[in-house]
Amino acid sequence: MVINYGSFYDFPHLFDKLMNDLHDPQPTASRRATFPPLYISEDETNVFVRALVPGAAMEDIELIIEDNTLVIKGELKPIQGKYYQQERPTGSFQRLVKINVPIHKDGITATMKSGMLFVQLPKSTAMKPRTIHIQPR
Amino acid sequence: MQQMPNRIGKRPRVQPPADFVEREDGFYLYLDMPGVEKEKLILDIEDDKLSVQAKSNFGLVAGERVHSMEFGEVEYCARFEVSELVDKEKVSAKFENGVLTIYLPKRKEVPPKRIRIDVL
Repeated sequence: MVINYGSFYDFPHLFDKLMNDLHDPQPTASRRATFPPLYISEDETNVFVRALVPGAAMEDIELIIEDNTLVIKGELKPIQGKYYQQERPTGSFQRLVKINVPIHKDGITATMKSGMLFVQLPKSTAMKPRTIHIQPR
Repeated sequence: MQQMPNRIGKRPRVQPPADFVEREDGFYLYLDMPGVEKEKLILDIEDDKLSVQAKSNFGLVAGERVHSMEFGEVEYCARFEVSELVDKEKVSAKFENGVLTIYLPKRKEVPPKRIRIDVL
């Protein structure tokens, strides 16, 4: 006799798991889980990190590079007055970006324009692949 | 993972997060609109409707290998109703650090006129 459990063999177990999960507390889904939102890209020579920090002036943001991690931190100050509606984030924030390629640290540049922080991290030229010529003997 | 940012044909329309506060001199509306150029921001006030429209430009260029994309080019769109208390002639706006601030001054209240009743 062939017992074919099929793909539903695990079903009772899965069902129990689902029911248990319903009772466990769920992390509340926030509209924007991490702040600031990042856009990380690279080309042949640079790594680019863009971050949206509307409302922050240049002096409100601190950029630190240590080892291979870029730290973006700062604070968004709340505005004065009587609030009727508040949707914009306030308070201090910090995000770490791990850069997995060697970076030429002295060549890092950062600019701010219209609420977007743009960090350009040049890749270390020492790590560029080099062709080794084979000499005839 | 390779994505081409310029592939995004139609940008999503988003309503920018807004703060609305009241101070002594009037109401202030703050809108987070990063990536917008001041010159390309359209701000209309018609009757009691205030509308804001602008497209972002983050300078996301093709040819970069994208590792993480938590934002993209959008079109900001917002509409507000302006209260009767606001002096619509004196509404002003400024754009700084990606935040649009709209100042809605309160209308000068006309002091109630007292009608004198002459006793005949």
